[in-house]
Amino acid sequence: MADINIFACEPEWASLSKELGGDNVTVFSATTGLQDPHHIQARPSLIAKARQADLLVCTGAELEIGWLPLLQQKSGNPAIQTSSNGYFMASSYVRLTDVPTVIDRSQGDVHAAGNPHIQTSPLNILNVAQALSKRFQDLDSTNAAIYEQRWQDFSQRWQLAINKWQQLAAPLKGASIVVQHNSWGYLFDWLGLNKVAELEVKPGVPPTVDDLNNVLNKLKATPAKIVINAAYQPSRATDWLVDKTGITKVTLPFTIGGNAESTNLFSLFDDTIQRLLDANK
Amino acid sequence: MKPLKLTLLIAAVLTPVSPIFAGNLSDLKAEISQMRADYEQRIQQLEQRLAKAEVTTSNVQEEVATVKASSTPLPPPTNRNTFNPAISVILNGQFSNYSNNPDNYALNGFSLQQDAGLATKGLSLGESEMTLSSNIDQLLAGQITFALADDVGNTTINIEEAFIETLGLGHGLTVRAGRFFSPIGYLNERHAHAWNFADAPLIYRGLFGDQLSTDGLKISYLLPTDQMIELGGTIGNGDSYPGHGTHSGIGDWLVFAKTAGDIGINHSWQAGVAHWQSSPQSRTFGDANSNVTYNGDTDISNVSLIYKWAPNGNPTQQNFTLLGEYFYQHDNGSLNQNSTATAYNGKQYGGYVEGMYQFIPHWRTGLRYDRLGSSLSAENTNIFNDANINLTGSDPQRYSMMLEWLPSEFSRVRAQINHDQSSRNDDTQFFLQYTVSMGAHGAHSY
Repeated sequence: MADINIFACEPEWASLSKELGGDNVTVFSATTGLQDPHHIQARPSLIAKARQADLLVCTGAELEIGWLPLLQQKSGNPAIQTSSNGYFMASSYVRLTDVPTVIDRSQGDVHAAGNPHIQTSPLNILNVAQALSKRFQDLDSTNAAIYEQRWQDFSQRWQLAINKWQQLAAPLKGASIVVQHNSWGYLFDWLGLNKVAELEVKPGVPPTVDDLNNVLNKLKATPAKIVINAAYQPSRATDWLVDKTGITKVTLPFTIGGNAESTNLFSLFDDTIQRLLDANK
Repeated sequence: MKPLKLTLLIAAVLTPVSPIFAGNLSDLKAEISQMRADYEQRIQQLEQRLAKAEVTTSNVQEEVATVKASSTPLPPPTNRNTFNPAISVILNGQFSNYSNNPDNYALNGFSLQQDAGLATKGLSLGESEMTLSSNIDQLLAGQITFALADDVGNTTINIEEAFIETLGLGHGLTVRAGRFFSPIGYLNERHAHAWNFADAPLIYRGLFGDQLSTDGLKISYLLPTDQMIELGGTIGNGDSYPGHGTHSGIGDWLVFAKTAGDIGINHSWQAGVAHWQSSPQSRTFGDANSNVTYNGDTDISNVSLIYKWAPNGNPTQQNFTLLGEYFYQHDNGSLNQNSTATAYNGKQYGGYVEGMYQFIPHWRTGLRYDRLGSSLSAENTNIFNDANINLTGSDPQRYSMMLEWLPSEFSRVRAQINHDQSSRNDDTQFFLQYTVSMGAHGAHSY
């Protein structure tokens, strides 16, 4: 029985691969929800796993540029080179937002292709799932019927879940929220949330005193109830804001494994929406 | 049964229930019609719910379809640089201060190469480095690194590395050809700007004149195991120090093995062994003024161990690295001075341990200890003494401490202080250096 050996860069793609592949795939996740996917070292254990992989499932859009090319290079594995069928970048199947007009290092860690954190919206995940299932069918045609059936099943469950989440999150529409790092664009677009300010003006560059004071001034004009950061991010800037304004801090899982409740794609959004609702009361 | 009785039985069954059950019959009828009404109502409700669900699903599908439509990926912006190599430049600048004269530096028990000594006293431009790399075609990738150094107005260009390498050859194999840093030890394959201290470990300075390179071929094989195990070897022209001279065939060769693993989420490690062999001809032996040369066999063995820790496996906040290496060189041949030769047997060895700790983001500190030893003997002690290689009776050692500020992954300012007991007299050394990288710099390996 053909088995696809999958190397997923992030846990959301590992979980998606498992949903779509079931017992026909072996999945390894290179990172956990508590790690910053921008800053991973291409360490030997990852090289050994990449060497055995049939399929890479990663985000792309330069999110993994600090380590993925090194894994491809050192693994000596033809299946996962950029030109081959075993190279799947999820961001290729989604329209990216926040494409920067100026691509320059002085602006911080900008992503030239746009915001790569596509896993924050379930609509994006649906697009990626369709393409991923097709890729499974391409790579393992003997089990194509099984993959197609699993995709249909996932698609139905996921769309019903999307509807449920949209209904649940209706009270959040238009809510003003501060973000620590601009990784939530797709979530905000989906639920109609309003990003009032961001603490990290230049991505990857810790906010200066001026930056933080600007945020305080903005909040005086347009107040916000909630400030959010991701589970893997340090919360110094966020804690400072809570201290100064009494705003509610919400640490969202960002991906599977970011907290104990987010164990799969469904519970990831269940938990995310629940935390936002609780803070918005 | 008799036909009459049967007829009566049938008639009884077919006749409406006898008047004895008349009251219960109308109850029964009422019950049945009630049940029917209930079921009809429930079926109606179910039909309504089903209709609703169908509408909802189609609503979601519609919405998803519109999102899908608006979500269709845009073609990536055309980059006019697409087929050109990625270019990166490393700039260095340094301020060095010594309590002794750096020109008089010599490493006890080791022959010091001309370029590998101490950095110029005062302000100086360190090495500037330029690297170009690119995929060549579906089989190969290539990379070249130039090092530009300026010494008292005299600029030298040095080709540090220039090689081609296979891309996804298969079965865990990789082949590399050209000039490259030899896969001996851990630090040898890393460019100087990626080191943890402003200067090379003493053993690298003493054995290699800072770094060993190979002009030749490297083959490596990665085993198909979850535990990373890599085996490989190189063959070279035998000209790179401590090799020397021209060799018509294979001048030097090396074999290496590395293994590595993770311990849980927070810890990772790598261990390696390597063995290098060459047959140098007329290699300078002794200090800068010596006219003694060495002919014979040289082999070097190495073990290395590195350990890294990061909380939750996330090195961006805090991380710790512990690294140690040990080298052992054996020279077996002859020393020559003018036309006289004498049998010579020399063992030079040593290593270092360094520990680096990033205590808050953008700040790192480190400690290093170097220690060398040697046991050299030649039949003709006059020739040996003329080489001026044994300066003191004691083994060289050095203590170093450094503190770095890294505003981003692309820039670094480092302050370092050494207590250096490797030369004739103890020396206190202070360095302040900046190192920046511009352009598309590839990731550093583990």
